[in-house]
Amino acid sequence: MIFPIKIEQLNSQQECAINYFIHTNFDKCTGCSICQLACVMDLFNGYNPRLSRLVILHKKENLYHFPIVCNQCENAYCMNVCPAKAIKRNASGVVVIDSDKCIACGLCAQYCPLGVVVLDPETGKAFKCELCQGKPLCIAACPTKALELARKDNCRGKINE
Amino acid sequence: MNEAYTNNLLMIDLSRKTHEILPTPDALTEDFIGGKGFGAKLLFDSLSPDTTPFSEDNLLMFLTGPLTGTMAPAMRGCVVTKSPLTGIFLDSYFGGSLGAEIKYAGYDGIIIKGCAKKPSYIWICDSHIEICDATHLWGTHTLEANRLIKKELKDDTVKIATIGQAGEKKIPFSLICCEYNRQAGRGGAGAVMGSKNLKAVAVKGTGLVRVHDPAAFKKACQTAVKELEKSADVDALRLAGTASAVEFANEAGLLPHKNYQFGTFAKASNIADNGQSKHLWLGSSACMGCPIRCSKIGAVRTGKYKGIVTDIIEYESAALMGSNLDIPDIRAVAHLVKLCDLYGMDSMSTGTVIGFAMEACEKGMIAAPDGIDLKFGNVDAAEYLIHAMANQENSLGILLSKGVRQAALDIGNTSEKIAMHTKGLESPAWGPRGISGMALALMTADRGGCHQRGFTVSYELSKEWNNHPLDPLSPEGKALMVAHLQNYSAGTDTLVKCDFGSFGISKETYARLLSAATGKTYSPDVFIETGERIWNLVRMFNLAQGMDASTDTLPRRFVEEPLPDGPGKGHRISKKDMAYMKQEYYKTRGWDENGVPLDKTLKRLRIDYVRPDQ
Repeated sequence: MIFPIKIEQLNSQQECAINYFIHTNFDKCTGCSICQLACVMDLFNGYNPRLSRLVILHKKENLYHFPIVCNQCENAYCMNVCPAKAIKRNASGVVVIDSDKCIACGLCAQYCPLGVVVLDPETGKAFKCELCQGKPLCIAACPTKALELARKDNCRGKINE
Repeated sequence: MNEAYTNNLLMIDLSRKTHEILPTPDALTEDFIGGKGFGAKLLFDSLSPDTTPFSEDNLLMFLTGPLTGTMAPAMRGCVVTKSPLTGIFLDSYFGGSLGAEIKYAGYDGIIIKGCAKKPSYIWICDSHIEICDATHLWGTHTLEANRLIKKELKDDTVKIATIGQAGEKKIPFSLICCEYNRQAGRGGAGAVMGSKNLKAVAVKGTGLVRVHDPAAFKKACQTAVKELEKSADVDALRLAGTASAVEFANEAGLLPHKNYQFGTFAKASNIADNGQSKHLWLGSSACMGCPIRCSKIGAVRTGKYKGIVTDIIEYESAALMGSNLDIPDIRAVAHLVKLCDLYGMDSMSTGTVIGFAMEACEKGMIAAPDGIDLKFGNVDAAEYLIHAMANQENSLGILLSKGVRQAALDIGNTSEKIAMHTKGLESPAWGPRGISGMALALMTADRGGCHQRGFTVSYELSKEWNNHPLDPLSPEGKALMVAHLQNYSAGTDTLVKCDFGSFGISKETYARLLSAATGKTYSPDVFIETGERIWNLVRMFNLAQGMDASTDTLPRRFVEEPLPDGPGKGHRISKKDMAYMKQEYYKTRGWDENGVPLDKTLKRLRIDYVRPDQ
């Protein structure tokens, strides 16, 4: 079950209960890429949707657009394959990369099933969606509410405990 | 180093199979900003008057602006070349994401000259430039070529400009498909591409477009979005795209019906947003970076033409392929427009050409082909002509595929009276008989019969522009408005803006976006100044190509035949009115009575170098 919640409810990452993730409503997505532009500007201080931490698949002559965002997986392959143990789940349940520990091997990007780990073109270090401290920029930027913050209720531990 | 620009121009010579990357000259960015401005200057500097559109020396340019590829809402790219349809300057704009991709690959523009010895396509992946064999793609339609190239490059994310069979055959109103449902549509850029044996340009860019002051730029973007949200026009486009204009134009008596014989269509609602939302639309699709999402995307689900994915039938296509041909079935119109898109022909020109043929046949000027009932309302006849033109199947198809101006010349004098074009570019779907300012805008548009260079309709119908009262039927007092709109549009086409964005975004906000992006300080007046500079430079280019004041005119129907219906009933734009408006316009522009820019005008605009004896 998914319970969409308002992002205003999250003031800091500390308050973020386990397993928040970005739920996508492909039926509302127009493929405009504004979410990606907001993401990549935050990450690399420039624009190019290819370097953002989310992907949009444009299908059937643009009849459908599928936004794909990090699942904050319970069994995160990115974490499993990292030889430097740079990827961990934080106290809020978000899968995060410790940039200092990242050795820029690219394995996480290679084995992410969704293709949403990006590598810094200059340093090769990996970056992924970490939910922007509980206030994802992509969600704020989306003009059609195709993205929203959600949480799982079947994750480790109970919410609000 | 100019921020927001890539500061590189990619020059490709197909004859020599070479390329070079040149720095974007500072003088170019300073005086011409980007997009249309770059195109006007480069075309003027590079082409001699005897360069024919299909000559190796003609340039085919894919150009971006400083705001293309950024978060600034509603930005595009443009193609500039010398048009085979008009023989003069052509700028044709495309949305989607190709423009942004060119910048991400590291280029402010791609400038192509020469002619490949065999069918080819250009593959650009950042600094990797390759001219690839396209022999196996020759003969495919626009989307099939797109699919095959993506398969060949093993990458679905590459952005590709393709031509269809029409461009290969150099039909002078061929378009360039800039996937998907986005076209550099008007004026025949696709034919220039075909003349260069160039089937496609595929681009992938992995670089970043940076702006000078990200915080200020973000704020300016937020202001722009707020302005869009406040605009009733943008709201209408968000709900129903340009299809919402069909009923508006019908009520105003501006909707072409039966080759512009009439200005209203009893079944307008069928082809408007009402009919389209019922029979076609499923959702909205946006160009990259655009919150307006004017495009409605859907499919023909039932009936004879079922099974095709279709974009919104834009106002111009709905009018020229629908009401203009007396076809009220929107699914049939969608089918005809899709055929044009796949063959790679401008559906506006194609609709006008077919309307011309239907009227010419009904009036006995041309004979109908065997077994074809070539008359208004016959969808099968329209489809027959599209195939016949695109495939050059028979003498009628070959004749009509030259465009209405040349077809009328070939057929003879009487047919010229029903050939709807200005300077060879088929008329857009805004019959101007009830609104004289629009007539002046069509007469003087730099690429020929185009409504987008100065769109006066809403001002004239509200009878006011810039606090000046306006009488839509009077020829007086229109020149200043038309020149101003043309200048502003040309000035903001340097960014490269989408017209729909400019319905909401103010000149002050465009200037803020440009200043924050580039790090230079621009005043809101820069767009009028730069636009006027471009307009005069293009005028000088067009005059050098042999154009003269006699072509600043209207199709004879608008001049000789009073509008039989609608609010403008009984009105026409007489020769006297045309002459009055022209002279008022030339004077306003600082041109002589023959429409030639005066020395002092060129000097004021810092382009007096365009006269070699100066």
